[in-house]
Amino acid sequence: MSNTVKNRVIGVDIRMDHTTIAVVDQRGNILATDSFMTIDYQDVNNFMTVLSERIVTIAENNGGFENIRSVGISAPSSNYLSGCIENAANMPWKGVIPLAAMLRDRIGLAVALGNDAHITALGEHVYGAAHGMQNFVIVSFGHGGLGSCIYSNGLPYLGTSGSAGEMGHTCVESGGRQCGCGRQGCLETYVTDRGIVQTAKEMMAASAQPSMMRSLETLTSVAIAQCCEQGDELALEVFRKTGDYLGLGLANVASVLDPEAIILADLPDEVFKCLIEPTRAAFDKYVFRNIKDKVRLVVAGLNNNERDVLGAAALAWTVQEYSLFK
Amino acid sequence: MTSDYEFIGDFVAVLSEHIMRLAEEHGGYESIRSVGISVSSGNFKTGCIENAPNLPWKGVVPLAAMLRDQLGLAVALANNAYVMALGEQAYGAAHGMRDFILVSLGSGMGSCICCNGVAHLGSNGFAGEIGHTCVNPNGRECGCGKRGCLETYTAARGIVQTAVELMAESSEPSLMRQVEQLTPAIITQLCEQGDALAIETYRRVGYMLGVGLANYASVLNPEAFVFAGQVSKAGNWLLEPACESFEQHVFHNLQGKVKLVLSTIDDEVRNVLGASVLAWEVKEYSLFK
Repeated sequence: MSNTVKNRVIGVDIRMDHTTIAVVDQRGNILATDSFMTIDYQDVNNFMTVLSERIVTIAENNGGFENIRSVGISAPSSNYLSGCIENAANMPWKGVIPLAAMLRDRIGLAVALGNDAHITALGEHVYGAAHGMQNFVIVSFGHGGLGSCIYSNGLPYLGTSGSAGEMGHTCVESGGRQCGCGRQGCLETYVTDRGIVQTAKEMMAASAQPSMMRSLETLTSVAIAQCCEQGDELALEVFRKTGDYLGLGLANVASVLDPEAIILADLPDEVFKCLIEPTRAAFDKYVFRNIKDKVRLVVAGLNNNERDVLGAAALAWTVQEYSLFK
Repeated sequence: MTSDYEFIGDFVAVLSEHIMRLAEEHGGYESIRSVGISVSSGNFKTGCIENAPNLPWKGVVPLAAMLRDQLGLAVALANNAYVMALGEQAYGAAHGMRDFILVSLGSGMGSCICCNGVAHLGSNGFAGEIGHTCVNPNGRECGCGKRGCLETYTAARGIVQTAVELMAESSEPSLMRQVEQLTPAIITQLCEQGDALAIETYRRVGYMLGVGLANYASVLNPEAFVFAGQVSKAGNWLLEPACESFEQHVFHNLQGKVKLVLSTIDDEVRNVLGASVLAWEVKEYSLFK
């Protein structure tokens, strides 16, 4: 029986375009990072080979592989309960991929897998804005959609089949915009980058009002937010409407869950600044009165580059230790 | 009768007398472990009744502490939805479920969320206000001051309003027209008699119910919704259209996966059983040991 404690974990953040690997110690210090392009590997087996090589290399260069306790992975459409990526809409690998088991076989350490919203929440709970909170909701705007993760009584609530938190697909407008999921009027068709751009286009088409947005080459939510900062009326109206939808969606979740805070993550700073006031106003209008003024709407505490590797590292600490080499 | 006691002090005195007498007659007061109470607007976290709109006692009433002082036993208190959920989980339709939502449909609409096997009460104990989620920003006015709350469509008064609107919209003959004071129970009876407009009333109510529950399910991914309360007595007249609308509106991952079921225990029995579950869970305490 060994008397030493392994004092490091590996956090892996797999995104559509690139993958980041970090060595993290017990206090959340990121000791080293490495990254490579996810999209270079159409075959998941090749991806796994590269990932495990990189993990071993970075571990050896930073205190040795024998000090690594476990590995945590953040990936879109992942199911913590099964350890698989399940039918990811935006990844090159189709079907159900048992990513955690594949990596464990290759590196001989315990591996835990979580989806991006779950990982974001873990990261914020352990190291960020949600530190010390028992009941809160993280709303994540990353990966082009709108995901969320609910903390109930101090633990993440994943739902009976692991798919809780699909806030982006709650209906805010009956018969509204067509969503990729097949339904109409889903919240995410209005409040994500793509939704904000569509709102801007619709507003420009509906009026002849002059606006700086008209001279933009490519419309993005950040560009629209920059127009707002210069006082562009139509751009402000775009965010007012977006905030109204977001406030309604958040208010309904808050009425049901009575959280301490709702934390908005992965939102560009410019967009957050323009969106927060109309969102707050709509939230107060729609939320149940008992809860009004009791729920904080805050921006995530960790920066967008670090949060997910830190969250993945936090997940790694929660999994039971296992090693082929003990 | 609860309503005989305008003053909470008198009520607690009578309640504790009754409890003691009942306990003495059934195995002795010394074998009673603890007491659980189900009360509307009860907050489990504080043990208080908080600003109950439908009870004679106003403001914040520390009922659990008051009763504990009188009885010398541990007392736990919770609101109806929480207690119903405990009852169903221990002895009813939700037996064995870890993630489910109990929906109580009556004069209002409340709910209790069970996550990972335990109730999610929220940070202030107010979680579950599904009746006040907004399904139509420009919709019906609600007593809470907002517009378009789900319960303005799905609770007793909303159902009657839907029936009245339907009667005004068309000149179709209906037995509902002859009823002076419509209630959900009467509308259900008329459904049984094949009244088309009564059936249509529940179809519309079910549609709104399905929309509200679908949003809830997309966020919470529960195993089931369990319905209790008077309005749920409408049974399939309400449940079938609700299921249909639910499947139309829920996130596709969950389609066909969430059960919508009726409570399997009689209302009064469930609430007393649920309160007893609450009593078993509270830490034992006695003045007389």
